This record gives sequence, structure tokens and C-alpha cells, in this order.
Amino acid sequence: MVRYFTRLRVRRIYKWGGRPYIFDRKLKSYGFEYLNMSVEGQEAVTTVTPGQYILIEGNDDEYPFVAKLLKLFGDESHKQKKALVQWFLRLSEVPQNKKLLLGRSPHPQEIFYYLGRACDDEINAESILGTVHVRQDNSPPGTKDTLYVKLSWDTKAFNVLDPVLMQDTSASTPPKPALPLFTPCASPTATPVSRGPVHHALPTPDPTVMRRAGSVSDTRATMSAGKRSTLEAESIHSASKLSASKILSAKRRGSAADTPGVRKKLQLSIGASECLYLRMKELRNSVCFPCFLIQVTPSTPRCATPCIPSRTVPARQPGNILEEARARLHVSSVPESLPCREQEFQDIYNFVESKVMDGTGGCMYISGVPGTGKTATIHEVIRCLQHASDMDEIPTFRFIEINGMKMTDPHQAYVQILQKLTDQKVTADHAAALLEKRFSNPAPKKETTVLLVDELDLLWTRKQNVMYNLFDWPTRRHARLVVLTIANTMDLPERIMINRVASRLGLTRMSFQPYSFKQLQQIITSRLNKVKAFEEDALQLVSRKVAALSGDARRCLDICRRATEICEHSASHPSSAGLVKMSHVMEALDEMFSSSYITAIRCASLQEQLFLRAVIAEFRRLGLEEATFQQVFVQHRTLSRVEGLQPISLSEGLAVCQRLGACRLLLLEASRLDMLQRVRLNVSQDDVLYALKPVRD
Amino acid sequence: MDNIIRKYLIMTLFKYGYIFQVQMILRERFCHQRLPEKPVGMESQHKHLLELLRRTAVHGESNSVLIVGPRGSGKTMLLNCVLRELLEVKDVNKNVLPVHLNGLLQTDDRIALKEITRQLNLENVVGDKVFGSFAENLAFLLEALKKGDRSSSRPVLFILDEFDLFAHHKNQTLLYNLLDVSQSAQAPVAVIGLTCRLDVLELLEKRVKSRFSHRQIHLLSSLSFIQYLDNVRSQLSLPQDFPDTKFYDEWNDSIKTLCEDQLVVDVLQSHYNSSKDFRSLHLLLMLALSRVSASKPAIKPTDLLEASRVCMVDSKANILHGLSILELCLIIAMKHLNDIYEGEPFNFQMVHNEFKKFLQRKSHSIHNFDKPVVIKAFEHLQQLELIKSMDSSTAKIQKEYQLMKLLLDHSQIMEALQKYPQCPTDVKQWAMSAFG
Repeated sequence: MVRYFTRLRVRRIYKWGGRPYIFDRKLKSYGFEYLNMSVEGQEAVTTVTPGQYILIEGNDDEYPFVAKLLKLFGDESHKQKKALVQWFLRLSEVPQNKKLLLGRSPHPQEIFYYLGRACDDEINAESILGTVHVRQDNSPPGTKDTLYVKLSWDTKAFNVLDPVLMQDTSASTPPKPALPLFTPCASPTATPVSRGPVHHALPTPDPTVMRRAGSVSDTRATMSAGKRSTLEAESIHSASKLSASKILSAKRRGSAADTPGVRKKLQLSIGASECLYLRMKELRNSVCFPCFLIQVTPSTPRCATPCIPSRTVPARQPGNILEEARARLHVSSVPESLPCREQEFQDIYNFVESKVMDGTGGCMYISGVPGTGKTATIHEVIRCLQHASDMDEIPTFRFIEINGMKMTDPHQAYVQILQKLTDQKVTADHAAALLEKRFSNPAPKKETTVLLVDELDLLWTRKQNVMYNLFDWPTRRHARLVVLTIANTMDLPERIMINRVASRLGLTRMSFQPYSFKQLQQIITSRLNKVKAFEEDALQLVSRKVAALSGDARRCLDICRRATEICEHSASHPSSAGLVKMSHVMEALDEMFSSSYITAIRCASLQEQLFLRAVIAEFRRLGLEEATFQQVFVQHRTLSRVEGLQPISLSEGLAVCQRLGACRLLLLEASRLDMLQRVRLNVSQDDVLYALKPVRD
Repeated sequence: MDNIIRKYLIMTLFKYGYIFQVQMILRERFCHQRLPEKPVGMESQHKHLLELLRRTAVHGESNSVLIVGPRGSGKTMLLNCVLRELLEVKDVNKNVLPVHLNGLLQTDDRIALKEITRQLNLENVVGDKVFGSFAENLAFLLEALKKGDRSSSRPVLFILDEFDLFAHHKNQTLLYNLLDVSQSAQAPVAVIGLTCRLDVLELLEKRVKSRFSHRQIHLLSSLSFIQYLDNVRSQLSLPQDFPDTKFYDEWNDSIKTLCEDQLVVDVLQSHYNSSKDFRSLHLLLMLALSRVSASKPAIKPTDLLEASRVCMVDSKANILHGLSILELCLIIAMKHLNDIYEGEPFNFQMVHNEFKKFLQRKSHSIHNFDKPVVIKAFEHLQQLELIKSMDSSTAKIQKEYQLMKLLLDHSQIMEALQKYPQCPTDVKQWAMSAFG
């Protein structure tokens, strides 16, 4: 969090240098020879001229964007300062799924010449941070603050860079930067894989920085001694929470301080890292470049890979037709096509495609009861679009999916979006700020982002700021964000959203109707795909029944699956089982839809049944649907005398009552009220009487 | 190892006679320490569940199922039997990861998630501790499950005891995610919920409900009394592998005659009428078993009768027997107040007045008590929860005027008076009279 806000404290001042020349008569813009920039309160001035490589403020403080400055220009009033640039990319900016195309792990200082057209090459000159050395080279440079280029990236593949593109700058040496330049790339966190294990704690110091810092450490020797002890204490404290390796390293350090023999050698590393720490602190105070912080709070070790252990024997494949059918009917199996949602598919496809083509943003709200294929349709759309973009028909885009139910708190949405966009792991507030910046600044966004927000209603907060942001970002000029939202209820925008949120969501809405029986039938048939396992009538019965109840495709598939099981069990031999018939489907339907209350009452013990009758008798006497246990118990006693049973004691009566309450045949008050607790029926009186009738006969 | 210990124990116990062995075997049975060979009276359910879990374990098919039945109907026993049987299959043995959760222990999703990651032994677990915040843990677990696929990752069996309590967690996040995994092409899971609530599906939110496969296995015992009696006999009988055949025959014969005794049948019938579950039966048999000793090496019908008396005793009547005469008088006064005002609440002053009236008019044996003494007795009754304060804000009202209700039935009071040792006759008469 600190890292982000430090930047805001610095104010840089930009001034044109040299004589303006008319650059474009129509637009009345003037070109300039160079740009002077300085940090407020400091003497030093950096000059940027076209042809130099520059760093541009971006989403990530540690890794600003890199570009080559082509032209500087401004308008007549000299208020707006613009620059024309040629972009370079770091590997972290390449989409996740394309990173593998490189075929090797990249050097941290490696950048790529950008050949795509998707991003705007006109930038605000005031976002320039400073200059940087870039070389075209085949081997990584020796000095740490120089970047190098070897390959170009055209949104599809990495190619060897044509030297002509770089030529004009290789000759001209840029002026020595007067600004205390601290290339972020040289910062110690820039290990090749920046997500490496954190608890190897202190990084190896960079020799050049160390040399520079040497003098500092001398003058501050006394201070650092005090600092060291706190630092060590801190790390030991955290060691108790962290892994064993950390404890070991802490111990090693502790023992090193005790034994004078090894001290010298080891102190160097401690001293060096500490010097580095001080040096960076200094730097932070002056330039406020980001600086790494030692992580103390125990969190998920970053090296941990989430995975379920794999099995020793591979899962068995389906053996007969019924098993095959069952595997195909499982909700999880991805069907070849999604029947019955053609219209919705087309609408969503057109919507997203047009936005991706135009490079604009927009929102869409999709509603429908559970199990009507909302998420599945969108995934299908994205699959098709991804295919189209692979075929070069539309620009590339990135797809991100979050689900309101799969996060613990609405604000986690920011964290998840950011993590899926950039692989960063930050707190919710910080993530919100970073995303805000990312979507509002004219940074070189390479592609449109398509964001799917499932279970939108869970993102509701009292101030609705999460929803507000989600719908506000697409409206920004540079955002290029398409937001697709899904929820169950049709009138969600009207019901829970305040006006400014609902207004930003817009009126692009779609609702998925529950499936009709014909559609359900078609879905099953297409899933089965010529596997002959069901009788035609049986399928029709299932789909009619489900369509009448909910129109939930999941339910329909589950019933069919259960019917295949029943069919298999009813056959004398598993292999001899024939088609799934009407009777099997009926049985499955009965199992899933019939209420179990009546069976439960029939299977209850005699006293429990008697108690239920007593409840009804007491209700009739009172003319109310509620009675206290005491009243019911009097009835119960009378009834048991009529039946010729030994009346039970009050304690036992309460136990009977509690048993019925636990099954929820009765609704009870808290049991501490003892015999004064009120009793209600959770089943209709008719059901109870119906269930008890055959027993009395 | 277990067997060796058992053998050793049996050898040592040999000296003390077979009775100890019998008690050990039967106690193990009644305290549910050992699973029965085969669950009784639930064959079809057993088959259904076993088949379902076998498919998850062998074919990697995700499933979800609820086992519903009243308390003590053998839900956990059924599941454990199925798991035992499942793990005996060679292919399955090392290929499933069971995760046991209980709604009473994992009271919210945060704790439940930690417990899941701990039991699955995922990589963010070091020793016994799970690192990371709630949000990180959820993301981690979901990521782990998402990475798996049907054919290569081990199936996970999530067993959720007291399933209904999980439905009360915030947003039902855990249930949604588990059921969502079971309905999508991720690591194969089986979600098994155990609950005694018949209306459990109504507790689920509609999107959670839609993801649940709606498989329910109902355990409703339709046991007849004859079967119940058979079961008692088999529960009390000794197993075939009992070391001494002579004692084995004797014991089993005695059990057989015991179960034919009319007295025993009556006791069991009243138990059967009250509840059919085996847990209460085991309690009864346990009490009867504890009366068996070396000098009395068989269960007699009277033992069972005595045990049933202990089981069925009215706890409040027991408390009444221990009250002082003054407290009993107060209870009788309350009873009369209840008769007069038809169950309306009363306060201390009313009871005291009623009591004083009795003293003045009818009493010969009981002297007048000071008011503080009576108040003390009244408070004691309240502590015993024989009376209960009606209004919640106790601070405002003086003790004497707080409204109370009697938590006793008239029959209980009269019964207690009959059994009360040396109860003065005038008190008895006062209790019996229609109006104080």
C-alpha cells in the first residue's frame, strides 16, 4: 500500500525546451525539440529528446512502461504536452497464455519491440518518468540499469527484431541523466521469476549499488547497529510463523554474530543487505521510487502450488452403454454444442464482438433462473470469439471470470481481477487503486478485457462501490473493458442498485427463459449423441415433468442419470440391462420429487404418531394452529388411555416431542422453555391424518 | 497390534471368568465402538450409497447425496460401513481422500476451509497450521480443485455431518463451491451430507439447490416389533468365536429364554412404542448388562425391568422428592393458583398469601415461617427451574412481584406427594382439595 501512495507525493515539473516548430497546421499543434523535467524541490533537470528511450508511468510501479520517444508536440496554448512513442513490452505485459510462446525464461531486463496496432501511440508527455538505456543485443548487458531488445512481439508470436527498426538510435548516445535514476529493473526484487519464494528473505545485493552505498554505510554505522537488532528481532518473530528454513537462516545469523571467526564473512552479507535497505530508504525519500518491503505477515507460501494429489490408478473408462450415457449426461461433461440457446448466443456474441472490434467498452446484464445455461452460453461465446481471434478475424482480447460466490467478501473482486490480469497479489484497497488507474489512464492497453461477473448480487455492499466501479470502468475512454454480469433475478438492477449504479449498468439486458419441455428433450438427445440408452417416451416424461416444475436443465440431467442407475440395478446382470424405460424414470422422479414427510410419519414410533394426533386434536379444540406442549401433552395422555397404552411420563413426552422437532415434522420453540414451548405443525393436518389412517386400520 | 492387545486382554481376563469378556464384547457393541458386520434393515440404501461412492472412486464421477433420517437411525453407521467396504476394494484403497466435516465443529466457512485444507494436506499447510487469510484459503482450495481432472486426480469425499448447519453459513459459500465443483469438470468429488431434518432442501438457496443433484437416501426404519425383538436377541448374543463353547451355549440359551419372557416383552414393547432407534435400546441394554456379575452370570427379566425404570424415569418427579416440606407447600400453592387463574402467571406475593391462608385455616403440623425464609425457598425453586420467570427484564421489578410460571404438571405433583416420605396428611389433603 505504501508503495503506491509514495508516488503521489512527488510532483514533477515539465517544461518545453528549444524552439517550437509548426507540426500540423490543421490541428494547430507545435513540435518541440526537447522536454525538460525536474522533480519539485530539486535542482536536477532531465532532458528528454526524441530518439531516446523513456520510462512511462503505468499500472505497475516497479515496472513502468518502456518506449522510444519519436516526437514531442503540444497545442497552441502550450498547456497540453503530448508525445508520440514506439512501445516496448516487458514479458509481464504479454498475455498469460502467450508467454509460453517464448520457449525460455526471459531475462529480467529483456524487453520486446511492439509491432501490434492495438494500443495508442500518442501519450501524455507528463507521464514520462525518465530515460533508460536500451540496447539491441543478443546477450544480456552487464550493467543492471540497461535494458535490451532482441525480439519483437506482434500479438501473435515472437520474432527476431529487424535491426533497421532500431538503427537511428543506436548511434546517438543519450545524455547522461541528471535525475538520480534508479531503474526499477535493477531493483533487487527483479529476480527472473518475480514470484519466487519470498521466505528466502533477503535478496543478494547488487554490486554496483553496494559500491555506491558503501560510503553511506560508513557514516551510518552507529545507526545501522541499532536498526539491525530490530530488524533481526522482527525476522525471528516472523520466523516462528514462517517455515523452518527461515528459522534456520535466522539461527545462522544469530550464531554468526556470536562467533568472531565467521563473523566477518557473514557480516558482509548482513551489512550489505542492510546498506541496501538504507540506501533504498534514502532513495525512497528523495525520488520516492518504489522499494521492496520485507514481508512479515505469514501468508500462503507463494511457492505452494494448489493441486490435489494424483491417483495411482487412472480412472476407469465407461464400460457399457448405460455407463457411457451416464458419463455424457453428467452436468460437468462439456457438450459439443449448446442447443436451444442460439438466439441468446448470437446476441451476446454480437455484443462482445462489436465491442472488441471497436475497442470500446460496455456492460450487459443477463438474468435467468438457475440451470438455464447462462454461464455455459457465455463460455461458449468466449470460446468462439477466442477461436475467431486466433484466426485473426478480430483483435485479441483477454477473458477474465469472477464469481461472487467464490469470494469471501465483495471487495475480493478487485483482488481476483487484478490477479488474473497481472498476476499480482495485493490487498483489496490497493488492487482497487491499481485497477482504477489501469482503466482510466491512456496506458498502452494491448487488448480489450472481457470480464464475466457471475452471481452479481453477491457483490452488493452497503455503499455499492464494488458494483459502481465495475460498471463505471467500461465507460472510461481508455478502459476497453466489456463487463458481462449474471444474476438470478430479472429485476436486480431495480431492486438492489442505487440509481447511479443502475444507470451505469445501462439497458443492455437479456433474460434466459426456463427451458420448455421440447428444449429439454433436445438437450438430452444432443448430449446422448446417438448413444441409444433411453426410450423416447421416457425422455419425454422427464422433460415434461421438469419443464412443468422448474425448467432447470441440471435437474433434468440428474434425473436421467439416476434413471440409468435404477435401470442397471433392476437388471439381473449389469450387461443385460436394456433401455431405460418409463418405469425407471418414474421411480427416479418419485425419489427426487416426492415429499418424504408422509413416509416419515408412517415410520415414526407409536408414541410419536400419537403425539401428532394429539397436536391435531389440540389444534381443533383451540381453533388455533399453535399450542403449548403442556396442552398437547394432556391430549396425548387422554389419547393413550383411549388406545389402551400406558401413559408416558412428562420427560419422555418431551423427548418424543423433541424427536419430532428434530425431523422438522413439528416446529418448536427453544427447548429451555420446557413444557411452555409452543408447538406447530410443519406438515398440513390433512397430510398427517392421511399418513396415519392406514396405521389405525 | 489391536488383535494382540485384545488377545492379551482376553488371556488376562480368563482368570476372572467369562463374565468380564461378555461384558467387554457387549459394551463395545452398545457403545458403538465397533461397526456391525452389516447394517441391519437398510440393504437397499447401503447398496445405493456404496454404488455411488464406488463410481466416484473408480470412474471419477462427481456426485452429491444427502442421507436423511431421524436421530439414531444409523446414518453415520451406514456411511462408515460403506466407507469401510469401499476402502477394502484394491483400486480404491489409496485413491480416495475422505474429508470429514461436522456442522457442530466447523461453525463457519473460515474454520471449515482450514479443516479441509488440513485434511487434504495441501501445500499451504505446514505442520498442523494452515497459512493465509480466509480469502486466500478459498482461492487456493478452488484453484486446487480446478486444476484436477476426472481421470488423473484423486477423488475427494466430502462428508458433511449435520449438513443443515452448513446451510446457515453466510451466503452458503462453502456449499455452493463444493456442489459447483461436483457439477463441473474439475477434480472428482462426492459431497455426502448427513442430516436429520426432512426439510433440508428448503434451507438451500436456489442456486445452491440447483447445483445439488437431489439424491436423497432416506433412512426411515419400518421395523416391526418381531424384528425389533430379534434384533435385541442378536445384540445380546455372543459371537461364534467366543473361546468357551460351554459358556457360549449357556449364555445364548439364557438370552433366548429371556427374550421369550412376558415381562421382558412388555418392557421392550413399551420401548419400541416410544422410539424405534437403536441408540435408546442400547442404553437400556447397557444398564441391564451392568447388573450382571460373577455371582449372577445372566441377565434376568427383573434387571431389564429395573433398567427400563431408570431409563423412563421422570426427572422432575425426582427433584420433587428432594424438596423440603415448605418448598412442597409453595408448589401446592402454585398449583392452586394455576387452578384458580387458569394457568396465568403468578408472583411471590400471591403464592405467599395462598400459603398463609392454608396455615391459618387448615394446618396443624406446619408452623408459620418468616417471610425471608419463604423467599429463600421460592428462590430455590427458581434455581431448580421448577418455576420460570416470565418477564425477561428482571432488574426493574422487585423480586416479590416478578411474574412466574410453574413448569410442573398436576399429575407430577400428585404423584410426588404420594411418594414423598412422611408427608403430613394436612398437606396432602390441601393438595387434593379443589380450591385452596
